[in-house]
Amino acid sequence: MPESLPPSVYTLPQTAQLEALYTIIRDKETSRGDFLFYSDRIIRLLVEEGLNHLPVLPKTVVTPTGATYEGVGFEGKICGVSILRAGEAMEAGLREVCRSVRIGKILIQRDEETAQAKLFYSKLPPDIEKRYVLLLDPMLATGGSAIKAVEVLKEHNVPEDRIIFVNLIASPEGLRNFCGKYPSTKVITGWIDEGLNEKAYIIPGLGDFGERRYCS
Amino acid sequence: MSVPAEVQEEKDQVKLLEPSRPPMSRTVSNTLNPGCRSEILLQAKKNTVLKSHGRPPWYDEDGKAIHDAFVIGIAGGSASGKTHVARCIVQALGSIPTVVILSQDSFYKKHGPEDLKLAFQNRYDFDHPDAIDMPLFAACLADLKAGRQSNIPIYSFKDHNRLDETKYLYGAAIIIVEGILALHDPDLRDLYDLKIFVQCDSDLMLARRIRRDVTERGRSVDGILEQYLRYVKPAYDNFVQPTSRYANIIVPGSDNTVAIELIATHVRRKIEDRSRYLRQHLARIGPMDLDLKEPVNRCFPNLTVLRQTPQLLGIFTILRDRNARRADFIFFTDRLSTFLSEKAMEFLPYKPKRVTTPVGSTYVGKQLAVDHVCGVSILRSGGPLERGLRRVIQDISIGSLLIQSEDSTGEPLLLHLMLPTCIRQRHLAARSFVFLLDAQIGTGAAAFMAIRVLLDHGVPQENIIFVTFIVAAAGGVRVLRRAYPGVRIVCGALDPVLRESWALWDTVALGQDQGDSEKRDVGTGTPTAKTREEAESEGRKVWVVEPGIGHIGECL
Repeated sequence: MPESLPPSVYTLPQTAQLEALYTIIRDKETSRGDFLFYSDRIIRLLVEEGLNHLPVLPKTVVTPTGATYEGVGFEGKICGVSILRAGEAMEAGLREVCRSVRIGKILIQRDEETAQAKLFYSKLPPDIEKRYVLLLDPMLATGGSAIKAVEVLKEHNVPEDRIIFVNLIASPEGLRNFCGKYPSTKVITGWIDEGLNEKAYIIPGLGDFGERRYCS
Repeated sequence: MSVPAEVQEEKDQVKLLEPSRPPMSRTVSNTLNPGCRSEILLQAKKNTVLKSHGRPPWYDEDGKAIHDAFVIGIAGGSASGKTHVARCIVQALGSIPTVVILSQDSFYKKHGPEDLKLAFQNRYDFDHPDAIDMPLFAACLADLKAGRQSNIPIYSFKDHNRLDETKYLYGAAIIIVEGILALHDPDLRDLYDLKIFVQCDSDLMLARRIRRDVTERGRSVDGILEQYLRYVKPAYDNFVQPTSRYANIIVPGSDNTVAIELIATHVRRKIEDRSRYLRQHLARIGPMDLDLKEPVNRCFPNLTVLRQTPQLLGIFTILRDRNARRADFIFFTDRLSTFLSEKAMEFLPYKPKRVTTPVGSTYVGKQLAVDHVCGVSILRSGGPLERGLRRVIQDISIGSLLIQSEDSTGEPLLLHLMLPTCIRQRHLAARSFVFLLDAQIGTGAAAFMAIRVLLDHGVPQENIIFVTFIVAAAGGVRVLRRAYPGVRIVCGALDPVLRESWALWDTVALGQDQGDSEKRDVGTGTPTAKTREEAESEGRKVWVVEPGIGHIGECL
């Protein structure tokens, strides 16, 4: 793990059990069924962690036995935005934790002429500027598409600091690029890997997440 | 000769015994209770744990077993009336929690092809001591006597051989062993607390044998006599009759009601002595003698409380709210139970594993390093945690323990258990990890009993991970620590208060302002008490955790 992590980056607790989950999904011999099950478990943990960065307000309730409990109430509306197509895989995990959450979609692909990330399609909740946004993309490699996605969200009047970017694996380069550009957007990542190879794949990584999840 | 009882029969047995449940009393003086119960007990099945009500605690406040089971050995000639004597004793004992009648017939040796041929020709000497697997018999009995589980063999008289499956037995307070050679083996004899020989005239035994084999087994008188003269009579004279000298009591094979009454009185007194001992010790378990000054995390290093994140606090705020909607309650217990299960998984051992990723890199990660993992849920309130556990290990087997509080004393009773196979088998249990599930630890009485059950089966303390929503800091968690320092507890919240209350009072009184059926359905199971007086007259005391989340079984 790199020594100087940008302050806006949060990782899951690096336990042996989390490492074991990653070992399964990294293994190229892992069956698609297991890949689905174990990546879902990580996604659930990530979403739970991501939600912790939403605001809460003090709230006092009376318990069934008549005692009072000074707790907190959830505050602020949220929505999910997945970066197609791999990000879609994280929607189910979000829905398991937040029932009937609204989810928007963004399709970003590399423009072959300019080698820049280009927006092809977006469908976002109409009142998105009033919501906290959980941006979902499983792999943060170069950070190109995530940066583009935040740009799109900002065009829809979502403030940077209301966006929480959730991913399974990040590269140090990607984190540096993304956080350099949007320092006030929080990044929740499960694991930070060694780096990128010449084809901009994360190593050791887990290959193409969407490919393994949907096609292999 | 008996064929081992089947599981269905065991269920029927329990069902039949329940309606006439005797007063919950661990002293047995007033419980000789003739009537419909006696009929049932007279037909008591062998090799089955019979129970008239739940099993009270069999351990002290340090978690150590207080005493072994009381073992009675009954020998005597074939058709001398051993089984009858055994059943009469069971009947005369009245409301003894758990009794098992163990039959020597289960322990016939596994036959090779030659013996098998002889057996089918009626040329195999079943009455000779060599026909019995005495070491296995003694080992099974020693396990049961020490309160451990045992998987006894099943012998099929149809196939003349031992079956591959075994019969799982656990938790008998009294064990009655019956068989013609029950007093023959010195190792077996050492295990008996009381040795009985049933003495009967040879001609009476022969007469009974002929009648039984003709009517029940459709055999010819000639065949019966040939077998009798060739095997039964010599074995009786040479091996069975001589063991009568080891007996503490010789009981006549007929007209023996006085003898049985004497034996039952003796056994009752022995058991009663033990009960008093037990109650005295258990009375000291409770939150009263606990030192509340020590902080819990120092006092209980094996207690893990989830990180108190905003989301977790928010979830608990919803669960604790008495006006929470039922749907919300279900959804958020589910979410919390998944999170707790993930946390609990961290306490399993892991070992390094090297894999190759699809991009061709090598990655040295981790892999679970356990042979068997299972769950055991304490019914009913452990149920909500099962779904969370299944989200984490899809195909995990989850057993159950039904533990309820005795109304008058509040002490726990073990009513039923169904454990995963990896715990039933002792050699697997030693290598199994168990997630024990219950909604909360208040007084800790149920948790205490459940852990004792697992330890009895050979699961090491360090392999038990107790998963629960709430632990009462002032409650039994400290007693658990003292008794079972190796057990890990994972919980969502640590609540400060544990207080005694009347069962029907709090929930109903507070539930009155809830007209909306969409609201959380508190107190559905006990809607009778309208006033505090009514609740008190019901006489059931409970311990309430505060702030707590109410009675989870009723909320779901």
